[in-house]
Amino acid sequence: MPKNLTMPRLSDTMEQGTIIKWHVKPGQKVKSGEVVADIETDKATMELQSFEDGVVSATNVKEGQAVPVGTLILSWEGGTGGAEVKSAPAAKAEPAQQVASAGSPTVAMPAAATAVAAPEPAHANGHRDRVFASPLARKMAADAGLDLNHLEGTGPSGRIVRKDVEAALSGGARPSAVPSLSPVETKPLPAPAPRPAPVTATGLSRKTWALNNMRTTIAKRLVESKTTIPHYQVTTAVRMDALLTLRQQLNDQLASQGVKLSVNDFIVRACALAMHQHPYVNTRWVAGSAPSVEFLDRVNIGVAIALPVNADGTGGGLVVATLRDADHMGLRQISAGTKAFADKARSKGLSVEDMSDSTFTISNLGMYGVEHFTAIINPPNTAILAVGAAVKKPVVETRNGKDELVVGHEMQMTMSSDHRVVDGAMAAQYLATVKSLLERPATLLV
Amino acid sequence: MYIANTCPKPDFRKTLPSREGDRLLQFREALREAMTEEMRRDDRVFLMGEEVAYYNGAYKVSQGMLDEFGPKRIIDAPISENGFAGLAVGAAMYGLRPIIEFMSWSFSLVAADQILNNAPKMLYMSGGQWNMPIVFRGNDGAGGQLGSTHSWCVEGLYANVPGLKMAIPSNPYDAKGLLKSAIIDDDPVFFLESERMLADKAHVPAEEYYIPFGQARLAREGADCTLVSFGRPVNFCLDAAEELAKEGIDVDVLDMRTIRPLDKDSIIRSLKKTGRVVVVDQCWPFASVASEVITQVVEHAFDYLDHQPIRVNSDDVPTPYAKSLEAEYLPHKGKIIRAVKASLHRL
Repeated sequence: MPKNLTMPRLSDTMEQGTIIKWHVKPGQKVKSGEVVADIETDKATMELQSFEDGVVSATNVKEGQAVPVGTLILSWEGGTGGAEVKSAPAAKAEPAQQVASAGSPTVAMPAAATAVAAPEPAHANGHRDRVFASPLARKMAADAGLDLNHLEGTGPSGRIVRKDVEAALSGGARPSAVPSLSPVETKPLPAPAPRPAPVTATGLSRKTWALNNMRTTIAKRLVESKTTIPHYQVTTAVRMDALLTLRQQLNDQLASQGVKLSVNDFIVRACALAMHQHPYVNTRWVAGSAPSVEFLDRVNIGVAIALPVNADGTGGGLVVATLRDADHMGLRQISAGTKAFADKARSKGLSVEDMSDSTFTISNLGMYGVEHFTAIINPPNTAILAVGAAVKKPVVETRNGKDELVVGHEMQMTMSSDHRVVDGAMAAQYLATVKSLLERPATLLV
Repeated sequence: MYIANTCPKPDFRKTLPSREGDRLLQFREALREAMTEEMRRDDRVFLMGEEVAYYNGAYKVSQGMLDEFGPKRIIDAPISENGFAGLAVGAAMYGLRPIIEFMSWSFSLVAADQILNNAPKMLYMSGGQWNMPIVFRGNDGAGGQLGSTHSWCVEGLYANVPGLKMAIPSNPYDAKGLLKSAIIDDDPVFFLESERMLADKAHVPAEEYYIPFGQARLAREGADCTLVSFGRPVNFCLDAAEELAKEGIDVDVLDMRTIRPLDKDSIIRSLKKTGRVVVVDQCWPFASVASEVITQVVEHAFDYLDHQPIRVNSDDVPTPYAKSLEAEYLPHKGKIIRAVKASLHRL
């Protein structure tokens, strides 16, 4: 008997998926192995392949529609249904993304950024307040990608009903008074042409954007991280002149080979090597009735990659690519790997494999001139390093027993740690090792 | 006795004849025509009940039929529902096609063992050997100051039983087409009429037609709310719809015609348009047909509901005798209007 395709669970944490594109139409013959759809999950966009031959009788979900795992998405006319998924280049799902103009190929990451990549911890809890809405209103909102949290209901007991959703979709939304995590664009009156914005009590016009899967995941994971992990920060300043000189030398010599090392490449290597002396940072907290700490035997450094924001304020987003066994990678490999991930993230999208299994994350806003910031831990990592820019500063140097004021480059880095695993002194010792590796960078070459 | 008669196999996909016309018949005349046509065609069909023959029917449904078909086929029964309902079961096992008239469905309660325990289960219990082509028909619901024991609405009680079919027409046209289908059906059909509708007049076409079971009729079209009903309350719904239209509220009125089988698809199709459903049912509310309709709506079309379904039933008390109380007890126009407005949040 024909077995129809349901939304597959493509990752451990996936609860729903969005059909980005159908590659088949009703009536179309499909061969085993043929791609039938692109599916966006909370982590990546993947191709759904048919497992066997068959004829499509119906595609039951519209493009752009998100449905829970297990929902019927495709019906067959014949043949046994089945599906297999391979991680694959993402479709052109997001609205046209601008090519990043920043020169640096490495990571750019907003403050308080962490990742989308790592597996969900066991204690994950997607709780949110109860919103009263009619089943029809819920379905319409889901179909339109509208978040009911932003609507006020006019039905019985404040229930959101069809006409409230219709009003929201036609632009006359009644947004709730409480601002939320969602990207709500707010402009002062007068509203721009071509269409006068409806005047609300506060005199503001609003445009509501539905969250895409990535932002939904960011919102969920970061709230969870910030509210369940006892964060604290330790900051240290690193003298960067030696490293910058070395980097200049290497880049001059390797320019003909197309190699251009970034500061971040050195930091990745330093952080990875320092794990050998301080294995407690390369760990995972395991929740449960008898919590424990897992010491991980591989050092996989996650580098946060910011996605470009569109002209209309949408887009953006953040992914963390995993440099596997970074402690065994040379600077050249780290540089090439990071560049490749950044390009892929901004063009095709990263696969789940590209983003899983990190053991420590580095977020760098140095290329934006940021000197200091703190980051939110990327679960299930124990710590994250927020790296600022190397800036010229007056520095006191002691030469021949005499203090002198000189101009030097200094870079601040701030580690956010899970206090359940890493105490302040432990974090400080790890940072001291990283600092020492960066300040005497020759070690990083061997 | 071996009878070679066979039933016609009407093409139920055929479009039914127009409801417009001037061949006005009373509901009782439409029923009589249906029985007469089938009895002329098939001599296995007979009518039995209290006063159906020499008195020409307690409600004059069978007027003149004794003259045409004689006492072997139009048979007066003693006041013994359990007896003649059981006779019908035996006759059906022998290949006949009885029509049993209950003067009131209220009186069928004493025949429960035959009509509920034997007829609907016979095909199953005989391993498919014996069909039960019986029509049990009669007046159902409050007839007008008949008191609580004679005002039964049995559909909620009886529709619970698998193996039977149940037709509940609301007008002469449907009464004829449904009764003809009931007579040629090989399963027991419970055919519920209303004494209050027997004098209702409407066009009944002269050409022969059979109305398929399980096919609701959209009696009125509107986009704001779906009214689902069957039998006499369909007319209450149409009155309510008329009044609601004056306030700019346009409703779909679905006349289910049969509730076993139930045309769930038509209900859901309408609900998808309106987002709201009000079920009007003359039974008491608890475990009623309305409850069943709403359950099926929730099971199959939850995502299309913009308001919780509402049922309008008779009040949950024994039927009052007093005229004013009986009128208020029924699922009348005022209750229906209130329910529709509640579903639109316009009270």
